[in-house]
Amino acid sequence: MITVTINEKDIELEKPVTILEAARQGGITIPTLCYFEGLEKFGGCRLCLVEVEKLPKLQTACTVMVTDGMVVRTETDTIVKARRAMLEFLLINHPLDCPYCDKAGECDLQDLVALYGPDSGRFAEGKRQHPESFDDPIIVRNMERCVNCKRCVRMCEGVQGDSAITVTGRGSHSFIEPFSGGRYDCEYCGNCLTVCPVGAIMSRLHRHSYRPWFVEKEIESLCGFCGVGCSMVLQMRENTILRTIPRMDLGINKGLLCAKGRFGYDLVESSKRLTAPLVRKNGKLVPVSWDEALGTVAEKLGDIKGMNGGGLIAGIASARCTNEANYVFQRFFRETLLSNNIDSIARSFYIPAQNYLEGIFGQGVTANLISGIGNSDAVVIAGGDPTKINPVLGLQIRAAARKGARVISLSDSEGLKRFGSSQLISSAGSENILYGAVVRMLMEGSDVPGKNKALDEALQKLDAPKDKDVESRTGVSVADIGKAVDELKSAKNVSIVLGPDVLLRDGMRGLFLMASMIYLTDARVYLLSERPNEQGLADVGCLPDTLAGGRPVELSSFREKYEQEMGYAVPEKAGMGLFEMVEAMEKGSIKAAYVMGDNPVFNMPSSHRVRNAFKALEFLVVQDAFMTETAQMADVVLPAAIWSEKDGTFVNLERRIQRLHKAKNSVGGLEDWKIIVKIAGLMGSKMSFGSAKEIWEEICKASHLYGSLSYEDLESDKALWPYKGEPLRSGEAAVEVPEDHGTAPEVVVYADRSLFHSGSFSRYSAALNSIQSEPYAMMHSDLAGRIGVKDGDKVRITSGNSSLELVSMINDEIRDGSLRVPNVFEGVCVMSLIDYEPDDSSAINVQRTSGLKVEKA
Amino acid sequence: MSRKVRKEGYPSTRSELLGALHTKQYDEGWLSQDGLKAVSDDLNVPAAAVKGVATFYHMYHNEPMGRNVIQICTNVACMIMGAESLVDLLKKEYGLEPGGTTDDKRFTLVIMECIGACGTAPAMLVNDDFHENLDEKNIIEILNGYK
Amino acid sequence: MDTFLLKNINTPGSADISVYKKSGGYKSLKKALKMKPEDIIDEVKRAGLRGRGGAGFPTGMKWDFASRDKNFPKYLLCNADEGEPGTFKDRPILEKDPHLLIEGMAISAHALQAEQGYIYLRAEYPAAKKILEDAIDQAYEDGILGEGIMGSKTNFDLAVHRGAGAYICGEETALIESIEGKRGQPRLKPPFPVNVGAWGKPTIVNNVETLSNLPLIIEIGADAYSKIGNPDCPGPKLYSVSGFVNKPGVYELPMGTSLKDIIYDHCGGIKNGGNLKAVIPGGISTPILPPDKIDCQMDFVSLPKCGSMLGSGAVMVFDESVCLVKVAARAMYFFEHESCGKCTPCREGTGWLRNILERIENGLGRRGDVELILEVASNISGKTFCPLGDGAAGMVLSFIKHFSDEFDEHIENKKCSVN
Ligand SMILES: Cc1cc2nc3c(=O)[nH]c(=O)nc-3n(C[C@H](O)[C@H](O)[C@H](O)COP(=O)(O)O)c2cc1C
Ligand code: SF4
Ligand code: FES
Repeated sequence: MITVTINEKDIELEKPVTILEAARQGGITIPTLCYFEGLEKFGGCRLCLVEVEKLPKLQTACTVMVTDGMVVRTETDTIVKARRAMLEFLLINHPLDCPYCDKAGECDLQDLVALYGPDSGRFAEGKRQHPESFDDPIIVRNMERCVNCKRCVRMCEGVQGDSAITVTGRGSHSFIEPFSGGRYDCEYCGNCLTVCPVGAIMSRLHRHSYRPWFVEKEIESLCGFCGVGCSMVLQMRENTILRTIPRMDLGINKGLLCAKGRFGYDLVESSKRLTAPLVRKNGKLVPVSWDEALGTVAEKLGDIKGMNGGGLIAGIASARCTNEANYVFQRFFRETLLSNNIDSIARSFYIPAQNYLEGIFGQGVTANLISGIGNSDAVVIAGGDPTKINPVLGLQIRAAARKGARVISLSDSEGLKRFGSSQLISSAGSENILYGAVVRMLMEGSDVPGKNKALDEALQKLDAPKDKDVESRTGVSVADIGKAVDELKSAKNVSIVLGPDVLLRDGMRGLFLMASMIYLTDARVYLLSERPNEQGLADVGCLPDTLAGGRPVELSSFREKYEQEMGYAVPEKAGMGLFEMVEAMEKGSIKAAYVMGDNPVFNMPSSHRVRNAFKALEFLVVQDAFMTETAQMADVVLPAAIWSEKDGTFVNLERRIQRLHKAKNSVGGLEDWKIIVKIAGLMGSKMSFGSAKEIWEEICKASHLYGSLSYEDLESDKALWPYKGEPLRSGEAAVEVPEDHGTAPEVVVYADRSLFHSGSFSRYSAALNSIQSEPYAMMHSDLAGRIGVKDGDKVRITSGNSSLELVSMINDEIRDGSLRVPNVFEGVCVMSLIDYEPDDSSAINVQRTSGLKVEKA
Repeated sequence: MSRKVRKEGYPSTRSELLGALHTKQYDEGWLSQDGLKAVSDDLNVPAAAVKGVATFYHMYHNEPMGRNVIQICTNVACMIMGAESLVDLLKKEYGLEPGGTTDDKRFTLVIMECIGACGTAPAMLVNDDFHENLDEKNIIEILNGYK
Repeated sequence: MDTFLLKNINTPGSADISVYKKSGGYKSLKKALKMKPEDIIDEVKRAGLRGRGGAGFPTGMKWDFASRDKNFPKYLLCNADEGEPGTFKDRPILEKDPHLLIEGMAISAHALQAEQGYIYLRAEYPAAKKILEDAIDQAYEDGILGEGIMGSKTNFDLAVHRGAGAYICGEETALIESIEGKRGQPRLKPPFPVNVGAWGKPTIVNNVETLSNLPLIIEIGADAYSKIGNPDCPGPKLYSVSGFVNKPGVYELPMGTSLKDIIYDHCGGIKNGGNLKAVIPGGISTPILPPDKIDCQMDFVSLPKCGSMLGSGAVMVFDESVCLVKVAARAMYFFEHESCGKCTPCREGTGWLRNILERIENGLGRRGDVELILEVASNISGKTFCPLGDGAAGMVLSFIKHFSDEFDEHIENKKCSVN
């Protein structure tokens, strides 16, 4: 126990902390400016100077650690004078333009001067001048206001790890700048905006549009873009979001956000939002009343169901919709339409990967705390760049690296370039071989672990590639792989982070090898999740073969129990999965589809084929906020409320159940579950819910996974399932060794997962578009050289019978042979180039291109 | 016996940054944005951090320089020995302002803080050469030797 | 007195290892290598050597702290940044007698069990870079550097790290940042460099002159060494003298030689028979003294009693033709230019003071300006992150303390009476 006396008050402390922290614990305020919790200690502004007995000079409270018996004073005349002097110094070069500075009202400098003076300035000469920079669409820099606290740089370097800004110059000519001096070339996390205490670095999005005191209410909610589920606060005035900010003390992100979360909020207010239901009449979609639209849907679906039962109808649920919406959706399908044909785009990776791993290791194996990554001593990355797909999870990897963890990348991960100890980047399409080599080397010199019989046997049968094949087929040296494997072997606490390409490109073989790696290193596994509620989709039963809580549809005992508990019957036969649905549409055995909150004709591979399949439908309903490619084909379009316009819950990739709070009303859109409940009602269902909360209560009944968590429990920020952190069932699945597919073609097309976009959803955010508004074909300069294009030249990519013309973007940080095109922008659907085909031994589909041609356009 | 660490050997590559910037400046005369980017790529040090370093140190030039860089000290010891009149002279003779470059790109004038020649003041460095005990006559003679 | 530090500099080819050896060079190293590290540290402590970089910290004590830290590797950094205006004492060693420094560093490295050393050389000394590197090459060839130096079990590698023009990098933690390839801003202390220094390892930073004293201490022993000069801070001292004396230059004299002797005996008095107006004894970060203080002895203990500091021992002599307002303004320009920008009072205060001083110098001073200077300077003093700001404030405060008339005169007459 340490006792310090601050202003005659004794403060007891468990462990040594700074004087500042001790004072705060004792309820004593010491003014600070350069201090920011969580950033590296700095001690530059000198505002927190205090007197410490026995020390001749004033000390900075923010840096000096307390010792037992220390006597500190924080409000003597000397200190007050020093404080005023520091503020006077800060003001001599400050423009004092508070009347039109957006920071006024929440500016630390302004507040400090108001508290401590000086009340007039004595500096007579001209102030340092620096033009305000509007070079950037999102961030405006006013360096005359900068107080050189370096909080932004410490954030950018030390926490975000982007190191995009720096202090340039020296002394009073120091300014904060990005490398270009103008526009930022950065991750646009905007975390510098959070920490800037004055109006020096600010968001341009709401410039001069409001004052902090215009904020009428603050709604704590969640980001709606990816599967991390960052907490954020929506600052509202009337029905408008003024801005989104993180809260430092809350959530997984503890004050951090990524570009999407911070700036993408404007899509809610996009002028492209659908505001009225549309029904196709004489080939054209025309606005109609809700009654007419819903009546049409009920009637058509009723007709088709009448023809041959619900099996003729397909339902596509959404990982952007809440648990509540998805639960109601599947209940509507099962109860009213008598169909188990319910699936989602999460079928591409998240769901099958999780099923597979749970089959081997037990249910809940992927439920690991994101913060755990930060404490690992080795992190393996495969199948996608975590810093792009789940940026705030990516920060945990950077944090681990900073603490000395070995970061081993088995796939392109530019975002970890400066953090990785080994970047084993195989030539495009040969990842399988690399993974195989890693697994083989991990086994060398030791017996199989003996904890999982099925895996042990499978591993002994593994036909792993020989050293010389590895080098020739992957281009990665065996010595490098060996070094990485040694690092892995000596690590005690391994995290393995898997992205979609592990399955999309490498199929079952990829998953098997990853499972082996997890097994051999006894690792925690994380599945990257591109959308906010992929886990929730599965949890609430938006699956053709599984009900909420993971109960298999086809087991009659489960079905009966379910019927007793829930009061509605479930069709006996498992329904179709996403890809089967498409085939069935082609064959005519599916005649109608209901798509809620997704854009399958754009987001699914073989998009031409999918489009034709949808065309063949007799009836298509799309419920969405925007006129997506899929909505354009619909017979009825129902405008939906999104994200900040609704209540409900999301489950993130670590299975944290979090509340989404309604902050504003939708102009014209209705909450997803309300629409479905209404249609169900028109079709005779007794389903009736008055609020999202009531649905949640039913979900908790349906899914024992969630225990009896109430909405109130969810606010506690600690709701994770399996609720007690234990796997619910152990794995028992037999494990096959999938075949080696050999090496892929020379050029492989990938959907580029940009840090600034999130599927086709974010294309409606003007802010995100201003960061990245154009589609591109990203390639290594070697590939560019082979096809004779320079950066910015047009290239034509042809595959099968589709072709895209794109501007080339040369990036030597990605591997030669990979061609990356974002699947975001209207009219540029990279999924039209990529086909899917079933992976031999399973119902899982992998992505391939056929007859790919890349040339200068 | 040659050992692992010699001359520019450091426990971390980041430490090579100052030297790499000197080399770049030596090769190209100044540190352009492209030059900084190249150093950043070479050393895998963030470009912004490279810029932060390049602008902190006074002897890195972030603007194009003339062929010969006159670095004249005007700190106290040189000032009291007449450095200011030499600066004035350079203006008269070559039209050189502190920080400026002659039109023919022959000279750039940089004002230096103490260069450690106070006992032989006033003094200057032209490129890498020390010239001490300057006066209004010899400075022009010396500079005439730089084309 | 016999010179030691400068004894070779006038010998032709003094930078060559063979010349150095001929005058007895590297004998002390040979002797030291046979001594136990802790015995050398003890010897240095008993010798009473204090750091010559400016702060005068007892070298033996610093080494003791470092050697108690059992974290390896350790680094030995030689501070050859010599940035304090008025100072040019390390330059002769660097340019004329590099092997003296190398020998001193090798002895220190053995004592400290530091296997890697760097000489942080200011970029303003381009010639020294080549000379030092050539000397280091020779030392490697001769087995004086590298693995098992001079046949011992001690390893020592040495390299030159070139700065790039920043006075603050003479401050030891800024120097470490700079060696790590960063902007040279001082670091928080604690942890102190002796525990957590360059690359996070125990690091010893010593000045060129300090390290060059090692061969002498080993050669003659602590007892004889401690009898040179002032017994409270003994040893030979390099004084660099500039300004209005007849024979400016670097003088090696026993520590504690009086300012008067330096100016009038060794340097031949005031130039052209002029009158002494003021003298700065230790570089422009040290307070200026009026003529009545020149009996003061030039060492770490005597000068503070006379109201100044030894600093780097850079004596700057001003005769009556010099306008001290102008000197103060130029000196303040230097501090503003060199302030690293990390802390508020130094970053903003030095510029403000320079503004006021310049306007006084230019005849635009206002009534109250002297008081304003006093206040601004005392608002800097004692509140900065590192001593640079203190030096700036102390400098101007001393000018006003002793020469306020000259400031008042400028303000009253709206012009300078000297120029
Ligand atoms: C602003 C500032 C500048 C300094 N410049 C130098 C310098 O140029 N050379 C030097 O040896 N010490 C300089 N020092 C002192 C160093 O911080 C440090 O005390 C010294 O290198 C220690 O070596 P010593 O004990 O051998 O003197 C400076 C200190 C400060 C605060
Ligand atoms: S006193 Fe402050 S601003 Fe000045 S050099 Fe030291 S740390 Fe930098
Ligand atoms: S808050 Fe302590 S120095 Fe800035």
